[in-house]
Amino acid sequence: MCLINIELDKPVNRRINRKSTDMTLNLNSLDRRRFLRGTGVALALPLFESVTTSLARAAADTPNPKRLACFYFPDGVPMPLPKDPAHKDWLWFPHGNGKKFTFTKCLEPLEPLRKDLTVLSGFSHPAVRKIHGHSNADQFLTAAATAYDGPYKNTISLDQEFASHVGDQTRFSSLVMSTDGGTGTPRGAHTLSFNRSGRAIPAEHRPKRVFDMLFVKSDKDAARRLALSKNVLDDLLADARSLRKTLSSQDQKRLDEYLESVREAEIKVEKAKRWITTPLPKVDADHLNLNLTPDEPRLYVQTMFELIYLAFKTDSTRVATYQIGRENGVGKSDHLARAVGFNLAHSLSHETKNPGGWEKFGLYCRFMNEEFGRFATKLKQTPEPAGKGTMLDNTLLLFGSASSAFHLSRNYPLILAGGKNMGFQHGQYINYAGDNPAGGPWNGGREPWQKEAAHDDIPLSNLFVTMLQRLGVKTKKFADSTGMLADV
Amino acid sequence: MGMLCRIAEVVKDYCKVMKLLTAFIVCLLLVANAATAQNSNVTSPESETLPTLETVKAAGVLRSSFRKQLPRTETNEAPKANLKVFRKEIEPVLKKACARCHGAKKQEGNIRIDTLDPDLLHGADVSWWLEVAAVLTNGEMPPADEAKLADKDRSKIIEWLSSEIQVASAVRRAEGGHSSFRRMTRYEYKYALQDLLGLPYDFARDLPPESASRDGFQNSSELLHMSVVQFETYRRLARKALKRATVSGERPPVLYWGVSMKKAADREWPKQAEQLKKLKEKHKDDPAKQKTEVDRLTASFKKPHRNSYYREFSTGRTARANWVYYGGRYAFTPTKSRQEIPATFDHVAVIPQGRNQNLIIELGDRVPDEGIMRVRVRASRAAGEDTKIPSLQLEFGWRASNEGRAVIRVSTEDVPIKAMSDSPEFYQWDIPLGEIYPRNSVRNVSKMGAMPSPSEFIRLVNSSVSQGDIHIDYVEITAPVYDQWPPKSHNRIFIDGENRKDEAVYSREVLTSFMSRAWRRRVTKAEVDQKIKLYNAIRPECDSMEEAMVEVLASVLSSPNLLYLVRKGVAGNPAKQAQLQPLSADELATRLSMFLWCSVPDPDLLQLADSGQLSNSKILAGQVKRMLADTRSQRFSNHFLRQWLNMELLDFLSIDRKAHPNFDPLLKEAMQQEPIAFFHEILQNNHSVLDFVHADYTMANERLASHYGLNNVYGNHFRRVKLEPQHKRGGLLTQAGLLAMNSDGKDSHPLKRGVWLLESLLNDPPPPPPPAVPEIDLADPEIAKLTLKQRIENHRNHAACMSCHSKIDPWGIAFENYDALGRWRDQIKGQPVDAASLLFNKQKLDGMDGLKRYLLKNRQDQFVRAMVHKMTTYALGRPLTFADRSSIDKITSDVRKQGDGLATMIQLVVTSELFQSK
Repeated sequence: MCLINIELDKPVNRRINRKSTDMTLNLNSLDRRRFLRGTGVALALPLFESVTTSLARAAADTPNPKRLACFYFPDGVPMPLPKDPAHKDWLWFPHGNGKKFTFTKCLEPLEPLRKDLTVLSGFSHPAVRKIHGHSNADQFLTAAATAYDGPYKNTISLDQEFASHVGDQTRFSSLVMSTDGGTGTPRGAHTLSFNRSGRAIPAEHRPKRVFDMLFVKSDKDAARRLALSKNVLDDLLADARSLRKTLSSQDQKRLDEYLESVREAEIKVEKAKRWITTPLPKVDADHLNLNLTPDEPRLYVQTMFELIYLAFKTDSTRVATYQIGRENGVGKSDHLARAVGFNLAHSLSHETKNPGGWEKFGLYCRFMNEEFGRFATKLKQTPEPAGKGTMLDNTLLLFGSASSAFHLSRNYPLILAGGKNMGFQHGQYINYAGDNPAGGPWNGGREPWQKEAAHDDIPLSNLFVTMLQRLGVKTKKFADSTGMLADV
Repeated sequence: MGMLCRIAEVVKDYCKVMKLLTAFIVCLLLVANAATAQNSNVTSPESETLPTLETVKAAGVLRSSFRKQLPRTETNEAPKANLKVFRKEIEPVLKKACARCHGAKKQEGNIRIDTLDPDLLHGADVSWWLEVAAVLTNGEMPPADEAKLADKDRSKIIEWLSSEIQVASAVRRAEGGHSSFRRMTRYEYKYALQDLLGLPYDFARDLPPESASRDGFQNSSELLHMSVVQFETYRRLARKALKRATVSGERPPVLYWGVSMKKAADREWPKQAEQLKKLKEKHKDDPAKQKTEVDRLTASFKKPHRNSYYREFSTGRTARANWVYYGGRYAFTPTKSRQEIPATFDHVAVIPQGRNQNLIIELGDRVPDEGIMRVRVRASRAAGEDTKIPSLQLEFGWRASNEGRAVIRVSTEDVPIKAMSDSPEFYQWDIPLGEIYPRNSVRNVSKMGAMPSPSEFIRLVNSSVSQGDIHIDYVEITAPVYDQWPPKSHNRIFIDGENRKDEAVYSREVLTSFMSRAWRRRVTKAEVDQKIKLYNAIRPECDSMEEAMVEVLASVLSSPNLLYLVRKGVAGNPAKQAQLQPLSADELATRLSMFLWCSVPDPDLLQLADSGQLSNSKILAGQVKRMLADTRSQRFSNHFLRQWLNMELLDFLSIDRKAHPNFDPLLKEAMQQEPIAFFHEILQNNHSVLDFVHADYTMANERLASHYGLNNVYGNHFRRVKLEPQHKRGGLLTQAGLLAMNSDGKDSHPLKRGVWLLESLLNDPPPPPPPAVPEIDLADPEIAKLTLKQRIENHRNHAACMSCHSKIDPWGIAFENYDALGRWRDQIKGQPVDAASLLFNKQKLDGMDGLKRYLLKNRQDQFVRAMVHKMTTYALGRPLTFADRSSIDKITSDVRKQGDGLATMIQLVVTSELFQSK
């Protein structure tokens, strides 16, 4: 193996002589490409003699990275009722069930990917089923009870939960993007990603910034910050050690958790340090126009997807979110409707009672499905750079919205794609919405979200738990989950 | 059908609760009741005129066996098990009374009595003996229809067991396993940072919440783990906190908003003029019609409004206080200098009572991120009566777009507006802006007037239920306010001194001063040297001494020397480690301040520890007194009470609004507040802890009083209110919040209430349910006819359920006169409430009154001991073991002898050997 090419970081190696299973886990998931990339380069990796053998074995056994990308579109989807002539062609959800289903014109662009994806209906987050659809993006990946007014509290998002497990294996722990950029406001989020304290992580909306961050600029301040951290951690380790000497053996065991934590923090610093010496990957950007804005909607969305593709391909990160639009219009993303010849996207969801209304709304959704499909297809056509199968087989994609019928925060339209190497069974429509999901145009009066629900959805967090497990996170719970979803 | 489901759910819930309690078996056995013969008399007196509960309470005190001499505890010889007495006197009685059901042939409840090892000191059956002691003491065994056990024999067994348990407990202390070494809890870390830095901020918000031990306490040593995520959070929080406490550079410029209601109202009058103009125009051809229409409209401009409105006194005209979020047109612009406040005024904003009416003062997008925002409001009350004192709350909020918005209450306590309308006064709030989350995130992104709106506002809320309107004529906002520069919090760290110019000397001074406060002891030269080493390593990378020092101090605040409590142990010999080791003086100071202030000791306490005076019991007692009188003791009341009574249940309770349309946030807040205020009142007055079982007073505000049907309680603040028997209230058992949190949000839940009473108040948690609990046959039409109580009884008659339920149900059924919100009821769905049932020992519990009578007459010792147990667990920050039993009995005995005062109990816990040992 190429392990001999790696220069061990001596100080760390000397200090850390560990048997922790946690550590072994971390190292197990380091992939072979990391070592390949390090060939001939003095790569500062926090390696330890005691684990090198398990490391070598790990590199051989688990060559496939696991990635996650989540996409969100606002304003729900066309839900014409069965009696409506538009039902046949423009309902977002497929007709049928299980393996036997047909896409409508809305999802038709995904037909070539049929065996690589699963459509789901009848899922939603229980804590926010009664709120107005305009406030839905905030909790799509968090399941938090964000409410409609008053104090605001969110919780960690699915992507960040995953990133907290794999983020230290790549230069960037995650990539957070949206068409509108920034954090937006609480209840009007411009980002899908929230950290462990429930604070919004700002999303980038400028393709050039994303590209530069990934492939052009290096963080000048990083070396200084890491050196500072290193000094502080050494100091705290010394504190803990001298305190330990004064403790009874029983209490020493308790303090060892602290020592362990400092050591783990040091390893993280060491891991982060190696990126300073590793050159940024070289990427050919000739095919990209990085100065696009949403005023050239199709190209803009394509470019955003392409950036995620490049970030994954170069293993710059394994986690990405992209919020295609903010809820309730009023923003750049509202212009995306111009991709299919309409003016503003949000109003399409309001005007379904007009002649051809469902079709217009459906055409807009079809556009987003086309671009999502293009991205998934590209992943499918790219063999995994240093592993088995295609990139799509090792990348789990979640694509959806948190409204279905007009402002109704139930029965989310969802597509799960890719990740076959993680054990996902695709080519099916998991229909939990029942025979008669809420729908129809809004003709004034009470809106669907204000009415009593006739159907009980499945908590979406159950799917999230399954996703996390297949992604290699050992957990039985996410937010308000009540179990897992076995049928994917 | 609904009711059927309900009972099924009740049972299901119970079993859920019980599964959580699985780990309790051992605990239950360890903490079983004090060995007393208090309950040997199990018949209930039924007389026509019952004595008052207060009389029963007073009489019950005299029955306490803790007030008598405790059984032998000390001896000069090596302690030995008293087997002679056992063989001769105890064993024959036990066999006769118990062996039929708990012997060779049958082992009811899985216990066989004739084979238990009578050597409690060294034998393996101590847990079982504790159970035996408990059931005999509580009069639960033998069952009335089984073998007889004469009172004389019962006392004999209990006496022997008590004595043996005492000795065994003391002996087993040597077995160790009782370390209090732990890290601070999240809330302790918050208060420690507050006290160290002198800033009232919620520093620990980003730390993960703690879980609770099986005793319900969050500060339990065995639970407080550390992980890399947690560790890194401490570092981040510490840095952030220090950056907020210190400043660099010049004092930031101050912005002033001076908002007179004239200015605010002037935005509305032109709209009325416009309306009038239009009306005149419309009827210009018909002067008579024009006049009547104009008169009508003009009169309508003088009416009061349901929502907040402006009034001009001289003309009497009024206008609704409008506000819209878009366009920023209601925003007031700040100035760089303070605006003069007019002495007189002709305009007020009227904020009507009830329904949480509010007045929005929009401030635009220039409210600073950090620093204090001072809000001053000149206000008065509309009503003249002294009983009618309305109150104001302050909120901060913003609305950026149709959907993006938030409003956060930033005032902690409601401010009563006592000023009369002829002499308005200024009321003031100081709000730390950095604490407000979330702020409007499109500030500096969007321009004023554009969408989404970057503007922010304050909202003044009339929070009173019925106290009348509030008049406001002037609002002044100043931010950021610094009373001095650099602020106090900065100077606390960067202390004044003659060596300020000499960085090497000064940095050492700063560190030494901060470290000894943070680590709560004198720090060694080596420890300071080590931090200086870090400082020197970092210094070249930093622009200033202060910047480098903040990094080093952040390390001091993330150090195990701050985070972990009670330190120095005895290394080496395990036998020696297990002995009770006295705390060092500084460790005692820390334990004391963690107990009563949830925080680090203050300089006074540290000084007493350092000079060795704290070991003087008089000085120690004086400190306890001082600390309880300090406002920081409110933290103790909050945290101890909430954990003791498991009040998290109330936080997460969701009330069925259809079944209870009158439930509102104000009531929930009052429900959460009452037990804490009640506890604090008892503490501050050193009232008897038996007041928790029943008292003829409670703490209430207007909202709660109206819930209870108490008259003449006005305003939002809590005050002591006298209770009469007809109110059917008093003590913890009848407090609305505690009743509600043990409901299912729709109806009462007798099982939850029963379990809670046994667990929290009597420290006698019921055993877990068997693995296979038979379900209630919902299809059985006979069951459908039954009342809830009958259904519970029906369920109980299943053999598998009986042993547990007979121990729980009667306690819970006694609460049935209180609905899900804790309101009194005489009927349930048209049928009279039946709240009477028999305890396992045939003791009748007849409703709440009967329950209290029984507890006050027969279970006082158990309650007081349970409370000592809970409080000591909390004070030590570790679960108690059998080895602590004799100490708990000793403290209980002293508490009972000294009159059961709550403050007395705290004094006795602090002066106990247990508290002063590691």
